Amino acid sequence: MATNPTPARRKRREAAVPLVIRSLAGLTLLILLAPMVIVILAGLNSGDHLSFPPEGLSFRWIIAFLNSDIFLPAYGFSLVVALITMVFSTILGTTISIFLVRTRFVGREFMRAFFMSPLMLPGIVLGLALYLFYISSGIGLIRTIPGLIVGHILVTCPYVIGTVSAALVGFDTSLEEAARSLGAGRLQTFRKITLPVIAPGIVAGSVFSFIVSFGQFDVSLFLTPPNSTPLPMALYISLRYTFEPTAAAAGIFAIFLVVVSMLITAKLTNLKRLANVNFS
Amino acid sequence: MSNDHLLASPLHKLGKTGRAWLLATPGIVYFLIFFAVPLAGLFLISFDKPTAGVVEVQWMFRLDNFVRFFTRSLYYEAAIRSAGLAALVSAITLFLGYPLAYVIAKTLNPGRNTLLMILVLCAMQLDMVIRLFGLMVLMGDNGLINEFLRWTGFIGETPLPLMYNFFGVVVGLVQFSLPFMVLSLVGVIQGINPSLEEAARSLGARRWQTFWKITIPMSMPGILAGMLLVFAISFSSYVVPTLMGGWKVVVLPIHIYQQIAELGKWQFGATVAVVMFAISLLSMLVYQRAAAKASGGRA
Repeated sequence: MATNPTPARRKRREAAVPLVIRSLAGLTLLILLAPMVIVILAGLNSGDHLSFPPEGLSFRWIIAFLNSDIFLPAYGFSLVVALITMVFSTILGTTISIFLVRTRFVGREFMRAFFMSPLMLPGIVLGLALYLFYISSGIGLIRTIPGLIVGHILVTCPYVIGTVSAALVGFDTSLEEAARSLGAGRLQTFRKITLPVIAPGIVAGSVFSFIVSFGQFDVSLFLTPPNSTPLPMALYISLRYTFEPTAAAAGIFAIFLVVVSMLITAKLTNLKRLANVNFS
Repeated sequence: MSNDHLLASPLHKLGKTGRAWLLATPGIVYFLIFFAVPLAGLFLISFDKPTAGVVEVQWMFRLDNFVRFFTRSLYYEAAIRSAGLAALVSAITLFLGYPLAYVIAKTLNPGRNTLLMILVLCAMQLDMVIRLFGLMVLMGDNGLINEFLRWTGFIGETPLPLMYNFFGVVVGLVQFSLPFMVLSLVGVIQGINPSLEEAARSLGARRWQTFWKITIPMSMPGILAGMLLVFAISFSSYVVPTLMGGWKVVVLPIHIYQQIAELGKWQFGATVAVVMFAISLLSMLVYQRAAAKASGGRA
């Protein structure tokens, strides 16, 4: 890695990306961001639906969302589920990563694949397996909030395992040994030496698990309690039958949540590291 | 820590590995109870005697469900459609995602690099149903694209069929899975030593030659990982085919939902789920084979 390129050198290298590649990259960025922009416009538009040419801006649908007895409770419910999920999968995911990185035994690779597999397993298959399990085991989780959270923890844990393991792999354990030999207790060593190093990984993992749970649809399909609808489910029903702009206004608040979470992650961790996380 | 010495003596005997096992016990137990056991149960039920409305295991195992799946075109064609769709989407996302990943990897300005990464991460993390709202407003019969074309006079009253068909599902799945492809590629492209490309250039290779002969082969691990990830997530999606396909593009997740929620055929629903699980697993094995080959070829 060239540590400190002079401005002139940097400019030359960046300009070296051919125009064809840059225009294709622009197209891709457009595909990625267009739906988000449209949702924001649809939620802020003054007409009954977003049309071309657009009619004008208003807060009418935002106010409708804040008074809605469908979307506002759904938003709140998803928020609570996501927060509880985040706490549990951060704790479980971090301990599992320490185990996976720090131990050496036959079948460790298999164990890693096992813990990461909820990511590759179709969400609807996982949801169905849990649903069948709840019914046949009779442990009282069928279509309950805890039963839903159990599923969300499974799909979000791999994100924490991925980010925390990536932070742990480069960690020099001799630092811990040095602290221990200088008389630090085990907990003290963890708090003062290990935790600061892996904290960015933990933060990134918990933000990921929060957002993934907040937007989770496939796993929730068979697990959702009858009286509490998560936001993605409420939006899905709206998209299939009524298509009201209030849903877009709810979308604006969800976009806000995602953007804030990502800004927090960017502030606290190095996003470049996220690109090196191995999720498989 | 005051209580550390109390814990120290029994824990010390365990040794470092033992303590790591102890630490991970809650996680391991959790995954065994809520992941391994339910999946095993799903397998068991998929082989059970098909009885509509009965969920409990009847312990009458047979192959009826699987025979039904592989002899009725309704089902095995859905499996082929699902896998073909996922393969097509992973090829398209590679074509669209590689240029953006390349630009991000080569952007050395930290501010611009972070901005691009945040945009991709936001696109990845935003709930797919919300993104589908945007796509449907854009691509519907009375959507923005059709209204714009009508306004400019390019088309008459009949709208361009952009949605509620195969094309719409492909666009939806590409939008859904693009960020995963980009993120799989950025790290790998960044990891390519720039002096390799410079060496090729100084030895007389043209820019495109360098790109095809050095950069692309060197990013093969990322390409394979990205394609596997995109295959897996677009193969699994339930919302995108239902909303963008308008129930006309029937994929395996739709069959699972119908068998369970609408017909009460629990055993056959489980069978479809097991087939999906098997195809996901198979794609992972193919990936590992290809990844081993790619890294072996270079060494």
